[in-house]
Amino acid sequence: MNIIVCIKQVPDVKEVSWDPKTGSLIRKGIPSIINPNDKNAIEAALQLRERHGGEVTVLSMGPSQVEDALREALGMGVDKAIQLTSKEFAGSDTWATSYALGLAVRKIAQYDLIICGKEAIDGMTAQVGPQLAECLNIPQLTYALEIEVTNSKVKIKQKLGDFHRLLEAPMPALITVEREANKPRVAPMDTILEAYGKEITLWDADDLDGEDENFGLKGSPTKLTRVYTPKLIKGKVEMLEGGPEEAARKCVEKIRARYII
Amino acid sequence: MDFTLSPESKMMVKAASDFCEKEILPIADSIIENNDYPEDLLVKFAKVRMLGLAVPKEYGGVGTTNLNIILIAEELGKTGTVCAWPMLMNNSTAETIYRWGSEAVREKFLPPLCDGSAYASTAFTEPATGSDPTAITTTAVPDGDDFIVNGAKRYITGGNKKGYGVFYVKDGELKDQKANVTALIVDKSSEGYTTSAPWEFMGLEGMNCVDVFFKDVRVPKSNVLGERGNGFRILLHWIAVERIEQAGYMVGLGQAALDQAVKYTKERLVRGKPMAFMQGIQWMLGDMKSRVDACRYLTYRAACIHDEEGPFDVVSSELKIFVVPTIQEVTRMALQIHGAYGYSKEYKIEGLFRIAAHAGIVASSTELNKTIAGSALVR
Ligand SMILES: Cc1cc2nc3c(=O)[nH]c(=O)nc-3n(C[C@H](O)[C@H](O)[C@H](O)COP(=O)(O)OP(=O)(O)OC[C@H]3O[C@@H](n4cnc5c(N)ncnc54)[C@H](O)[C@@H]3O)c2cc1C
Ligand SMILES: Cc1cc2nc3c(=O)[nH]c(=O)nc-3n(C[C@H](O)[C@H](O)[C@H](O)COP(=O)(O)OP(=O)(O)OC[C@H]3O[C@@H](n4cnc5c(N)ncnc54)[C@H](O)[C@@H]3O)c2cc1C
Repeated sequence: MNIIVCIKQVPDVKEVSWDPKTGSLIRKGIPSIINPNDKNAIEAALQLRERHGGEVTVLSMGPSQVEDALREALGMGVDKAIQLTSKEFAGSDTWATSYALGLAVRKIAQYDLIICGKEAIDGMTAQVGPQLAECLNIPQLTYALEIEVTNSKVKIKQKLGDFHRLLEAPMPALITVEREANKPRVAPMDTILEAYGKEITLWDADDLDGEDENFGLKGSPTKLTRVYTPKLIKGKVEMLEGGPEEAARKCVEKIRARYII
Repeated sequence: MDFTLSPESKMMVKAASDFCEKEILPIADSIIENNDYPEDLLVKFAKVRMLGLAVPKEYGGVGTTNLNIILIAEELGKTGTVCAWPMLMNNSTAETIYRWGSEAVREKFLPPLCDGSAYASTAFTEPATGSDPTAITTTAVPDGDDFIVNGAKRYITGGNKKGYGVFYVKDGELKDQKANVTALIVDKSSEGYTTSAPWEFMGLEGMNCVDVFFKDVRVPKSNVLGERGNGFRILLHWIAVERIEQAGYMVGLGQAALDQAVKYTKERLVRGKPMAFMQGIQWMLGDMKSRVDACRYLTYRAACIHDEEGPFDVVSSELKIFVVPTIQEVTRMALQIHGAYGYSKEYKIEGLFRIAAHAGIVASSTELNKTIAGSALVR
């Protein structure tokens, strides 16, 4: 079984700080990491490979430093890595991202499953997975907690708020996985050593059989008009007197008075 | 000279740090409580291939550099737990078996040390001696295809955990006082092999240091490591390897102490301002940082010389002389910065201070190493 895993490189939010004056993110010098949720996608693919054999290929679109993310995925044990880097891809929104990824998947051709993270910690739209499935016209099974493959069918347990659904689809299909789906493995030391011996396939816009005007900023229907931090309305702190029970009762009354509960 | 780590090494450091966060820190408190680590700890190390790091792949190892081992030791040191020790003991013992063992010995003993099914020990110390090999009294007397071993070893790390140990014993047939120590690989579940309860130490809870008693234990002659009578040379090699690994661990410990001190000075207010603003405190932090860095690069240098197959007995002794007391002082300064909280068990810093104290004694004492490094200069 051949699996493609789409991974995105994102800034490490643990290291991000805010400019206190402008309120915007200070991105300079922030280390980049694999989108944490995409490590769940890699782990899911590796576990399926352990059960059913086959090959796992990671695919990522981004600037030249996405090589680090791809090497890390190779370190975790994936077989192959493909990097989509081209100045034409710059400024892609989720549509243009899915378009380019879709063309790359078509070029790979041989695959049974595509696994994506549910969402990226920076963009957080959770759109790329579903849009990619639409672009390729294959079934999408989103928010997976568990994945099972039997007789060219894939089944997932889908997390939907307070309840779960069991979904099934023929393959090829696309799955997006939840953070709770698994515990991504620590890259083993021997695989890390091998990761640097492997070649990463590099494709640019010319390698993909697409329409130029659909790539990057040009191909992005969403336009970013303004980035701003909403003004925080400072609340007033009110201390409630009395014993725990009495204070809790007063607290509930106050919340009720505001129609919160 | 290049002070940058290779991308592979950087990724290994990241993986080791990941491993510590996921597998070590969650069990840190329970190890102290139980004075023991979970039985499957070694298997966890094996799963991320942190065992047999310097052993070639054909024997089940990873085949990487000693520098990479030191980088991993440093990450483990940062956790302020004992967990580095079973892992380092397996690595240094496996390296020594690979270096000195016959083909048959390598094939028999290296795979279980690399796959985590066997805990390694290396045993030299006895109740009456820790620094003098001529005073060893545990004896191995040949009998047919076996040796019969009698005697006792003291403070043997992991001596109570199933697996194999390299035991340095007096060879009953060899009369030359200078060449009668033989290195024997002993199965720790052999009949007649018993152990005491673990020693309780001021730090390093869970080290599982025990006394080992041999009563007519039969060990096949094929388990001799290297040649009979050559044990002392093998021991010196292993101790030199262990000294570098210990220094790597100490650097991590020192870094952890420094990190905790920096964090504390930013949080603690003195006269309405964080302590971090006080020049006297900044000087202490600057001092600590430069010390940790100096220790780090001295340790890396020793590991690189080991990798280049250069003589590393003296450079590893330098680590005992410089790194050990320097990091001990760094942990003391970090404790001092924490005030009374530093002395309390609320904070981790007192634990680092207590752990650091082991390093002047374990894997040969600092004084002995001064003799090694000093005498080499006037020889
Ligand atoms: C300054 C700035 C401006 C932006 N402007 C816009 C804009 O105007 N319009 C707009 O729509 N977006 C905009 N974006 C968002 C950006 O285009 C998205 O980050 C990107 O398209 C992916 O969407 P996402 O982060 O929401 O990913 P999600 O849809 O949340 O990601 C889901 C999954 O898709 C996969 N995936 C996502 N990206 C990639 C990739 N590059 N390579 C491989 N797999 C991937 C991963 O598996 C991931 O887990 C902007 C971002 C920034 C930082
Ligand atoms: C936590 C822990 C784990 C240990 N694990 C192991 C293990 O796995 N295997 C093992 O074999 N041993 C182990 N040991 C024992 C350790 O290696 C010895 O304690 C160490 O070698 C010192 O020996 P000693 O305690 O007998 O001290 P001694 O040899 O009695 O020395 C006492 C003092 O005299 C000084 N001294 C001795 N000789 C000289 C000299 N020539 N010149 C100047 N000063 C000298 C020493 O520096 C020391 O200060 C462990 C000990 C501890 C505490």
